[in-house]
Amino acid sequence: MDIPYTVNPRSDTGLYNAKVGIWLFLASEVMLFGAFFSAYILLRVTAQQGFWPDVADGWPHGLLNIPIGTFNTAVLISSSVTVVMAWMALKENNFPKFRNFMLFTVACALGFLGIKTFEYKEKFSHYVIRTTDGKVVTGHFDVDGKSPLFWTLDTVKSKNIEKLKVEVDIPNRYRFPVGMQVPEDIHKAHAEGRHHDERVIEVSQIDSLKAFIPSTHPFFAIYFTMTFLHGLHVLGGAIVLAYFTFIGTDLWRKNPEQFTNRIEVGGLFWHFVDLVWIFLFPVVYLL
Amino acid sequence: MASTSSHTSAPHGVSHDDHYHHEPGFFEKYIFSTDHKMIGIQYGLSSLAFLFFGFLLMMAMRWQLAYPGKPIPVLGAIFEKVLGADMAQGGVMQADLYNSFGAMHGTIMVFLAIVPLAFGAFGNYVTPLQIGAPDMAFPRLNMASFHLYFLGGVVMLGSFFIPGGAAKSGWTSYSPLATLADPVNVIDGQTLWLIGMVLLITSSLLGAVNFITTIIQLRARGLTWMRLPFFVWAQFVTAFLLLLAFPPLEAAGLMQLADNVLGTSFFLPTGLVTSGGQVPVSGGGSPLLWQHLFWFLAHPEVYVLILPAMGVVSEIIANNTRKPLWGYRSLVFAVLSIGFLAFIVWAHHMYMTGMGTKIATFFQTTTMMISVPSVIILSALFISLWGGSIRFNTPMLFALAFLPMFGIGGLTGLPLGLNATDLYLHDSYYVIAHFHYVVAPGTIFALFAGVYYWYPKITGRVMNETFGKVHFWGSLVFMNLIFSPMFIQGIRGMSRRMYDGGATYFQDGVGADPGILKLNVSITHAAFGLALFQLPFIFNFFWSISNGKKVTSDNPWEATTLEWQTPTPPPHGNFASEPVVYRGPYEYSVPGAEKDFSPQGQPG
Amino acid sequence: MSLKTFHIVFVTVSVLLMLVIAAWNFGNYRDNGTQADLTWGVVSVIAAVGLLIYGKIFLRKFKNVSYL
Repeated sequence: MDIPYTVNPRSDTGLYNAKVGIWLFLASEVMLFGAFFSAYILLRVTAQQGFWPDVADGWPHGLLNIPIGTFNTAVLISSSVTVVMAWMALKENNFPKFRNFMLFTVACALGFLGIKTFEYKEKFSHYVIRTTDGKVVTGHFDVDGKSPLFWTLDTVKSKNIEKLKVEVDIPNRYRFPVGMQVPEDIHKAHAEGRHHDERVIEVSQIDSLKAFIPSTHPFFAIYFTMTFLHGLHVLGGAIVLAYFTFIGTDLWRKNPEQFTNRIEVGGLFWHFVDLVWIFLFPVVYLL
Repeated sequence: MASTSSHTSAPHGVSHDDHYHHEPGFFEKYIFSTDHKMIGIQYGLSSLAFLFFGFLLMMAMRWQLAYPGKPIPVLGAIFEKVLGADMAQGGVMQADLYNSFGAMHGTIMVFLAIVPLAFGAFGNYVTPLQIGAPDMAFPRLNMASFHLYFLGGVVMLGSFFIPGGAAKSGWTSYSPLATLADPVNVIDGQTLWLIGMVLLITSSLLGAVNFITTIIQLRARGLTWMRLPFFVWAQFVTAFLLLLAFPPLEAAGLMQLADNVLGTSFFLPTGLVTSGGQVPVSGGGSPLLWQHLFWFLAHPEVYVLILPAMGVVSEIIANNTRKPLWGYRSLVFAVLSIGFLAFIVWAHHMYMTGMGTKIATFFQTTTMMISVPSVIILSALFISLWGGSIRFNTPMLFALAFLPMFGIGGLTGLPLGLNATDLYLHDSYYVIAHFHYVVAPGTIFALFAGVYYWYPKITGRVMNETFGKVHFWGSLVFMNLIFSPMFIQGIRGMSRRMYDGGATYFQDGVGADPGILKLNVSITHAAFGLALFQLPFIFNFFWSISNGKKVTSDNPWEATTLEWQTPTPPPHGNFASEPVVYRGPYEYSVPGAEKDFSPQGQPG
Repeated sequence: MSLKTFHIVFVTVSVLLMLVIAAWNFGNYRDNGTQADLTWGVVSVIAAVGLLIYGKIFLRKFKNVSYL
């Protein structure tokens, strides 16, 4: 006896096996990401005032690159559209069309990951510096013409650097959440087109120096964990979709219906991954 | 029925399956098998081995509780040699070793022994047979599920041998303790515990997807939902619990892993100070978050432990009372309600955290609600016995003992579910006694019953009855001698986490009566008695494979469900011809029928 | 639920996202009066309308595919 309903739907449920399987898997994924979103909420509501200095509620805002994040959102939404088109092309028996749409989808996935990597790198070279007079600034600095990644105060000291020339951020307007006005002096600096203050900070005056990495603040911890996990899902989806575009095409000749089913299942997963991003983007970038 | 017995001699998977042109080789057949029956057996043997190993950990701990500071006989020297002198100085169990044995006993018993035995082994072997399916819906996922489970087990076992030893913060791994327990080693026991858990969670996720799909899609013709054996219903709900409750623990595990390895502060609060001074982390995290995410899994996990056991017991009781289960429909709806309510009771483990009286009241209410369907199931099984001509064979004895034992475990849980009494009993030996009554003489008895009951289908031979009865009566007596004194210890205020059994706590006259420490000795003696009475089982289990009495029919218990209508042992693809179901699962002693059982596949 | 149904859900949620982004931008504009926020808010509303229109076309084009 062969396993039934691997290709054709069972009449009373109307589904083939893989479709039931992927939906159950997605249900568990909802619980996984749901747990992370719950963790986000709990960490945020218990964040102490003054913990992250320049905002009122102890939770950092506007540290992520919103234009790039928006662009990435658009990339993922388009890739979801093309994955459906690819599936439809198979239903119309048009394999070249399928392949073109799928190529675009996979390219979007890789583009998304590339942009995300760039964003990560930008964070790893972005520092929060607390000086002995209790002031806290954020910004980038160059050593020998390069922006160093993952440095700590110990790294700076071990290089015998005495003064750091820091491009101190003038907080952008997104650092102040909706409902909070941008202070007058910062507003003025923006109007004049200034976004950074060049400042020299004596290393001996530095209390702590941390890159924007997970251990610096729970916001970064949850941001990196969630986006990294989401990135892994994007990568996994891209590998599966690329497999069906380049290597697994034999099945199309042997059993087109099963191949179409697999693309549908892959598309369902892809939609889910994109849907997660649609929730993730406003939560970590905007709010 | 007789029509299928003639196929008994069909060679393994050759006669009616086009896919297997060749006899599979050793690796294909035993290691990389995609056949649900072989995977079930793999799960069964590995989980029984883990059950034994977890039991040994407990024996060593029991020795330390009864005779604190005395070298453990035999094992002590081995521990000192293998785990190092800082763990077992001169064969004496040190506090760190006790803590890691405690944590690993819990972890191994729950995640590597009972669940894989109840869900992985019985679920895999029996469920597809009972629904008349040729295999699971996704055989390769099934294989991957077992391999991940095995890998998870290897990681857990391996963690004993790394510097610092295995995880030692309890099976609950509460933060910040779990993160700070071993400040020296970055890759410590806790890290390996988390990696092991992620593997085990992934394994059970694949299993759960597979089970649910199989039960929804691969039911035989005529097998409607209300004709499903209760065992299948129990597995179905269990699979949903695993599917939806485990991912939050996976999330929590990943976050604790980040806390351990990357230095994040998901679960570490601001201003955390230990004996080593201020902990150098950013802080701002929430220790309560871990507890919420952990118990969101771990309470449904309790039902994962108990529901398959109820399924096994129902099958055996219906079969051996020779009458239908009383209230099949209420059983089904009760198990579904448990499945739903299991998700909204988790915080009754957290009354002591100060999460607030309103929240405590909510969870107290839902906890009382979930006891209703549990009582319905137990009552229905008790009433099923009424007026039956009961066959007292070994599986039935274990199934019968399950009922009062689980009853004790369940009823003693009520004071823990109520806020006011729990504040006193929390973290005492009372808790240990309560959940061990549910799981040890409860679930494990049901699983023993299952082993004796399905053994003939798997091997073609029956396990020896005399040894079985010795095993049963010995286990029943000693289980109770072990766990009932713990209620007394707990009520008298003995904490569950003290590695000398509370001797240091009581010596200065603070707290309760030190007389209860004497019970530690008698409990340990009873534990040795229990160990002694497992020997007949171990012997019987292996001896009967080649020397047990051969079954003369495919249906030695004269049962009604579909798994007994396959050849013995079932070949690849299970059924000689497509099974069709004509009736409900427990049509025993139907008036006017030829025999006292009417199999589901019998027309008319 | 077929890919078609999920796509409809997805497009609906995307429309909502665009409206959330628009509201967020308008909120910032109300607080600070920055012209760019107003522009981005309008762009988001246009994107929401565009996605709605796409959804309608999609429904028409995929009329024969099952929802299950």
